[in-house]
Amino acid sequence: MICDFLKTCCADPMKFIGDWFVLLPAIVLLLAGGAAVVMRNLIHAALCLTLSFIALGIVFIALGAEFVGFVQLLVYVGAVAMLIVFAILLTRPDQLTKSGSAFSGLGPAGGAAVGFVALVALLGFIFTSPLAKKPLPASASAPVADIGQALMGDYVVALLAIGVLLTAALVGAAVIAMEDKQP
Amino acid sequence: MINPLERAPIELLHWFLNLLGSFGVPQWILTVVSAVIIIGTVIGVFLGLFALMSVMERKILARAQNRYGPNRVGFFRWRLCGLFQPVADGIKMITKEDLVPRTADQVVHFLAPVVMLIPALMVLAILPYGRDMVPADLNAGILYFFAVGAGTEVAVFMAGWASNNKYSVLGGMRAIAQMISYEIPLVIAAIIAAMVSGSLSPSAIVAAQGGFAWGFLPQWFVLTPWGFVACLLFYIAALAESNRSPFDLPEGESELVAGHLTEYSGFKYAIFFMAEYVGMFAVCGLLVTLFLGGWQAPLPFLVVVPTWCWFFGKICFVAFTMVWVRATLPRLRIDHMLAFAWKFLLPMSFAAFISAACWHYAGRGPLAWLLSLAIVGVPYLILGTAFSNRFAVSRRTYQFSE
Amino acid sequence: MSFPGSGIVKGLAVTARNFVGSYFEKDRLTTEQYPEERPKLPENSRSFPFLIFDGNDPEAGMRCVSCKICEKECPPQCIFIIQDRDAAGKALKRPKVFDIDISVCMSCQICVEVCPFESIRMDQDYELSSFDRFGSLLLDKSKLLKSNTYYQSIHPTEAAETDARLEADRKKKEAAAAAKAAAAEKAAAEKAAKAAQPPEAAK
Repeated sequence: MICDFLKTCCADPMKFIGDWFVLLPAIVLLLAGGAAVVMRNLIHAALCLTLSFIALGIVFIALGAEFVGFVQLLVYVGAVAMLIVFAILLTRPDQLTKSGSAFSGLGPAGGAAVGFVALVALLGFIFTSPLAKKPLPASASAPVADIGQALMGDYVVALLAIGVLLTAALVGAAVIAMEDKQP
Repeated sequence: MINPLERAPIELLHWFLNLLGSFGVPQWILTVVSAVIIIGTVIGVFLGLFALMSVMERKILARAQNRYGPNRVGFFRWRLCGLFQPVADGIKMITKEDLVPRTADQVVHFLAPVVMLIPALMVLAILPYGRDMVPADLNAGILYFFAVGAGTEVAVFMAGWASNNKYSVLGGMRAIAQMISYEIPLVIAAIIAAMVSGSLSPSAIVAAQGGFAWGFLPQWFVLTPWGFVACLLFYIAALAESNRSPFDLPEGESELVAGHLTEYSGFKYAIFFMAEYVGMFAVCGLLVTLFLGGWQAPLPFLVVVPTWCWFFGKICFVAFTMVWVRATLPRLRIDHMLAFAWKFLLPMSFAAFISAACWHYAGRGPLAWLLSLAIVGVPYLILGTAFSNRFAVSRRTYQFSE
Repeated sequence: MSFPGSGIVKGLAVTARNFVGSYFEKDRLTTEQYPEERPKLPENSRSFPFLIFDGNDPEAGMRCVSCKICEKECPPQCIFIIQDRDAAGKALKRPKVFDIDISVCMSCQICVEVCPFESIRMDQDYELSSFDRFGSLLLDKSKLLKSNTYYQSIHPTEAAETDARLEADRKKKEAAAAAKAAAAEKAAAEKAAKAAQPPEAAK
């Protein structure tokens, strides 16, 4: 059986490498996500979460959605991960390395049950959504120009709504930060 | 008219691959070998440039301060103007004891230099080194550059946190705040160039700056009003992203010792140093690609010089100006630095953005040039005057003692 | 014309002028490239003492007479002198052993000030590093003896003044000796004249 497996590998090595290019980051993603949940040290958990973001970005790139993958890396690793880390450092600097319980409240069994229910619900929504019934596009990687046209054309309302939301958040943050400067 | 020296690297690679193929090596191994050779060459060239830069920076800084730089370290008996200094520095770094504090986070402390160096080397893949000489011609190359460059911020935090040193954490947080603040003008300036060229691919952006107006003037973006401002914004933000003077508060020796790098010694410090310089070269390369015409020659009769020579010559020129700025300007304080990014560079980048759009939609004629100059010049004068008045030295008033 | 940012441009111009000028103007770079170029020391700079000899032979022309005043006056007591004795045991006016320990010497120049014979002076040589800790820092007579011409080359004014004084002393001594010889001759002549006269007076 192993000989058959190796034969299929060597028959088309590029496809073999291409398959593992998707599988390996996916495995790393699951493991890092699990570690981020289980770890006691909060900063280690944040770094594992960052690793899972990076792995997700690589999965996107390997599946051909390069734009989404790069944006995932840029936004999640460059901004969101830093935000999480800053938030931890600025709000609870004394409780970081204390080995408190990583599972609070429900306990591991309860948490796994909730996670399983959420997974089933998500999979149900994904497989019954109208997107699953559309035919796959001819080429997996869309040029950035097409994505730009779609964003500015079909989905412009969503884009503008997100922009308004982000502006509101930015203004709110600036107002909150400014309040401390009372003489 | 194509100089044979220009195609020489590519032809050499093809000759070697054909040689291997004639020995019956299968195709997929040839692909892997080709990739390895290209990667090795690019990394080798940039590490060589890093070594040369470390000594040339010291010599240029010295000359600007009316003294000699390192001019002793040579090879056997020849002094060679001290150009072997990086070899001596490398030997020193390797033989230094690698001290790790006992209470430091061992795994994170070890991984921080690695996580710093890998993105710095990875971004070199999308730069067009010459005509048809891009290691990875991605459709969204500019986006790849910034996405991978975001990994550097994680590394800075890891270095600052893992040292278990209050001052390192403070230095790391300041460094991240600086990098995040200056990333926005950097990305907007890059987007301006991408917008006018109509593509995110670096080779397309370089091609959009080709040709000569009126037969002899190059059509580089830096020679337009919006392009000049965008180039300056990109340059300043690049200085801040690579923690170079005058934005080197995170690693200034007189503040916070070395900030997030305090607890690193020996080879790990050398790797941080290397990552900083390679990142500086990478962002110089991107500046050259976006605004200075990439591998294009400035005048028609200079096309004889190979395109990769032009590219590396321009990178060296931009690096020289970075050293020149380091020799001239004092270090900025952290609140001045952040205020400069958010209150001056960000509005100027929006102004340049609008100016570029107006230039394009007004037809790129003389009226368009005047309009774009006005759209970019008026905010500059207003913001600049407001800024220099805001930070002008005024009579000190005391809040609590009277 | 001061637009916002003109200060930075002016600063860059200054730095650029420094950079370009450092290659073309010779007097911009004040660095002395040691060890190819040695610094020009002022005349009165001093490092450690040395002994002077006149003429060509160090042992014969040595000015030191082993009076041991410098050994007694030296504050950290770094000079060791043993007087030379001849075969019969009589003391000679020269030292057999003259050692100075320069790891102890503090260059206070007291030995120079008290020497009545102008035989010990301060040297200017500062390149005295050695590989062993104290052994080669104990300079013996052979290392300390240097000629008067060397002294004239390192301290010209001092040497000229000392030489003039020694010359004047020598001339005075010669004049005194000549006067004494002339007086002795005159006395002898008078004695001879007196001896010649009385026989005449007695006649």
